[in-house]
Amino acid sequence: MAREKGYTKKNFLKGILIENPLFVSILGTCPALATTKTLEAAIGMGLLFTVVLICSNVLVSLLRKLIPEEVRTPAYIVIIATFVTMVKMFTNAFLPELYSTLGVFISLIVVNCIVLGRAEAYASKNGVFDSLIDALGMGVGYTLAIMLMAIFREVLGTGAFSFGKIFTFIPEVKLQIIPKGYEISMFQNPAGAFIVFGLILAIIAFIRNRKAELKANLERQEKIRKAQEAKALANGGNK
Amino acid sequence: MPNNKMHYIITSITLGAIAASSALLISLTNLATRKQIDINEKNKINAGISEIFGENTEISKEYAIKDFKYTNYVYEVKREGESSEMFAFRTSGSNSYGKISLLVGFNYYQIPGGEEFEYVFSSISVIVNEQTYASTLVENYIDPVNDNKRNYEDVSCGATYGAKLIRDMINEAKEVTKTDFRKE
Repeated sequence: MAREKGYTKKNFLKGILIENPLFVSILGTCPALATTKTLEAAIGMGLLFTVVLICSNVLVSLLRKLIPEEVRTPAYIVIIATFVTMVKMFTNAFLPELYSTLGVFISLIVVNCIVLGRAEAYASKNGVFDSLIDALGMGVGYTLAIMLMAIFREVLGTGAFSFGKIFTFIPEVKLQIIPKGYEISMFQNPAGAFIVFGLILAIIAFIRNRKAELKANLERQEKIRKAQEAKALANGGNK
Repeated sequence: MPNNKMHYIITSITLGAIAASSALLISLTNLATRKQIDINEKNKINAGISEIFGENTEISKEYAIKDFKYTNYVYEVKREGESSEMFAFRTSGSNSYGKISLLVGFNYYQIPGGEEFEYVFSSISVIVNEQTYASTLVENYIDPVNDNKRNYEDVSCGATYGAKLIRDMINEAKEVTKTDFRKE
């Protein structure tokens, strides 16, 4: 079958923009609310999530013709759980601060709808390379989305960005953005996470609606123009 | 039906192969990471001991504790150039919210005016769990000077569920001080 030109780029970008798992499909919200207190934790969560997604997508795609139809879902869950356990062990060994910060949310990647969803909806029907690109796009899209939430929450909640506390291999740095005493600690709490998530969704909905409205307006204007042209032509013909 | 039978056999073989490969991968990862995880665990305990008793302290002896629900190890701690005796009780408990491991520190003092020694509660350090449990507990829950004076039941604490477990763990550590754990 001939491959559409630019498919790989489109496949990668769809996970970041058009089909962003968090902001468009509203999937994986639980870790997004829980692990976005700091930008570092969000980056860590995003990286672990992306690794699991890539590994499971590639393996599911490789085994797609071997796994019988009736046991597809349990087989995918076993594959995903294996990668999550491995990622958990590696994090515990080599990034212990990230491990204790994310806690149970590393294990919960197993039940993340995005991972199982991509395995079921994409990897089980497509080749290894496409599945890899799809996972990479979705992973990057999810990481960017939770990073955006974390930026708002950390700055508004603590007034500063802190680096080096979770990724201890980089020097500890604190960038004060809002003067001390003006931070709103609520943004560090679950309520703050919900507010930030809701506001981002509202902004995205506003932009999409505005775009759709502009498009509809343009189409209407185009129709009117064409109708006027047709009328003018008809009038000219009559004369 | 032979076709059906064949289908079942293939399905079971596939599932078995996936499970076996998963087990193998996890075992290999465990082999590769176990050593480092143990080192991290030890570092955490050492950091907890420093948090309780201050810097320049190190574990001189380790006692395994049996027959208690939460307490599993007692570390005898010494500070360089000092003869004072300090003990950190490692307690681990779990509830619906996960696993909590604490180090409960006690100083071993001679009762003033007497010949007997007693264990006096020092502080706690959380080695597995969110730090918020510990800070809430230390500030609101535990009398840092004398743990007998405070009415535990009336104190409000942010992490109620965790705090109950932690209270039980600390109380059990106090019970262990009354036993002859050093002879075990």
